[in-house]
Amino acid sequence: MLSHIAAARAAGETLQQTTADKLIKVQYYAILREQAGRSEEAIVTAAQTPHELYAQLKARYSFSLAPEMLRVAVNTEFGQWSQPLADGDAVVFIPPVAGG
Amino acid sequence: MTSSPTATIRPGCVFSFTSQKIDAAPLRTRLLDPAAGGYTCFEGWVRDHNEGHAVRHLEYEAFEPLAVKEGERIVTEAIERFGIQHALCVHRIGDLHIGDMAVWVGVSARHRAEAFAACRYIIDEVKHRVPIWKKEHYENGDSGWVNCERCAAPGASTHEHEHEHGHPQGTSALHSHASAPVPDYSRQTALKEVGAAGQAKLRAARVLVIGCGGLGVPVISYLSGAGIGRLGLVDADRLEPSNLHRQTLYALADVGRLKAELAAERVAALNPDVEVRAYAVRLDAGNAADLIGQYDLIIDCTDNFSTKFLLNDCCVQFGKPVIFASVYQYEGQLQIVRPASACLRCVWPEATRDGIVGNCSEAGVLGPVPGVFGGLQAFEALKLLLNLPGQLNDELLVLDLLTLSTSRVRTKRAASCPEHARSRSPSMQASTADMELAFESLDDALEAGFDIVDIRQPQELREWPTPASGSRNVPLAELLHGTASFAPGRKTLLVCATGRRSLAATQELRDRGLSEVYSLRGGVKGIRTRLLT
Repeated sequence: MLSHIAAARAAGETLQQTTADKLIKVQYYAILREQAGRSEEAIVTAAQTPHELYAQLKARYSFSLAPEMLRVAVNTEFGQWSQPLADGDAVVFIPPVAGG
Repeated sequence: MTSSPTATIRPGCVFSFTSQKIDAAPLRTRLLDPAAGGYTCFEGWVRDHNEGHAVRHLEYEAFEPLAVKEGERIVTEAIERFGIQHALCVHRIGDLHIGDMAVWVGVSARHRAEAFAACRYIIDEVKHRVPIWKKEHYENGDSGWVNCERCAAPGASTHEHEHEHGHPQGTSALHSHASAPVPDYSRQTALKEVGAAGQAKLRAARVLVIGCGGLGVPVISYLSGAGIGRLGLVDADRLEPSNLHRQTLYALADVGRLKAELAAERVAALNPDVEVRAYAVRLDAGNAADLIGQYDLIIDCTDNFSTKFLLNDCCVQFGKPVIFASVYQYEGQLQIVRPASACLRCVWPEATRDGIVGNCSEAGVLGPVPGVFGGLQAFEALKLLLNLPGQLNDELLVLDLLTLSTSRVRTKRAASCPEHARSRSPSMQASTADMELAFESLDDALEAGFDIVDIRQPQELREWPTPASGSRNVPLAELLHGTASFAPGRKTLLVCATGRRSLAATQELRDRGLSEVYSLRGGVKGIRTRLLT
């Protein structure tokens, strides 16, 4: 199990290497998927909250949406931007869409 | 009119009439075949009551040249369709008494499944399609001509009722009826979770589809195919050539026409059972309440946030369920807002507005994406109306069709939601969508396993008896005082004159925990109207 996590860590991309690193699985939808050029990735990050994580990713991918315009889900539940993130969390950024 | 009696079926023929008693034994031997692993038969008998009237005896009459052709066609269809070895059908004409065999169907096949299915198909189709008149002689001395049983179906208005000598006119009318195919829900009623009772729920349902575009097209197609009773279609737009890669109900030649009207035409052609209403308007604050008020379930197939939020607010106010879907390029989202669930405003940020993410024209979309999501909406609608398990509830489904990855995110009703604060205790306004059922006759309801309780006053019943044998009369006041007992595990259908009192009583009894109580939509007047049209 530990080696599995280590392997995932090795495969994951590092945003900021610190002692408080966590491995977060991130999924993108709609315009975020387009701008990130991928629909999911594993990230090693020191971000404490979804808000911090999104700020890092926004800088990397030049996301056009402010966090106030989308919702974040943590482990299959809509979450707060300010809630703490834990190692192994799955984070999904979901913009509202309206096409029909 | 009638031709010479035929006691047996001529060689090479598979359907015939006979004015003599049907003897099944020689017919059965015609089906013997070394390749057959079994044989099934159906015998229809004359019973002593119909629609609440005691019947003494009856007469069958057929216009044989036409009826034999149609009967032959049905049996031949069954042989081809089910790959069976042999099938025969004989129908009596003339004077029959209680207990006499009126019709005999026999099928031999390799396996029992095909044998049962083909036998069922033949008797159902014969009753639907073969022009046969039945004159019933009642215990009270009256008599009346009744057409083949299904001719009273909505949309097929060739019913000959109490029509003693109308054969020439009746013949031509029935000719066109006999050759016109009728809707057949057998593939869905064969599901044990659907059955006749489920079909009655669908027939009673009133569904409003907002938007007749990429999402609306599959929703409209599947719901009309399923036999939804009333379908309202709202769209102010005209068809454009760029719509056609995803809006597959329409044709290039339709470009420029109103989509609501085009869709209504397609529904009418697809299923005449559906009462379709086209509204070529844009949903706005001025018409939303009026439109929504006429329907039990709303399906959002719009392409903009302002309409979605307007719809959300209105449905929260009125306690109506809405199935929302939205698509974007290769993905989409599905969410159901119910009276007690999270609503759109509980989930999405206040800043949500049109223009922050593109719609189909700005961002592009592949045709099957709205097809998949509209299909999911139609499916969730059927789950909701049929009360099937596994309904999407307090969840947002996000599905990316490129990677086929799904996220199901739990939604919570937000304490701060402005819409719920504004609405008048929406949880108290539970939808009545699954409380009403429509039946063509109360015999259909009895066959579907319902106990029938007529809740009208005794004097109303004297003027207008319950059109079913085996029903109970428990006046509304008595019912609500709790003196009437309901058999555990039995489904009960409450009946009144128009369906209003029975719906109110159903709501009250459901609140008291009786989940298997239903109301007959339209009441006994509805049934009478259908019989007379």
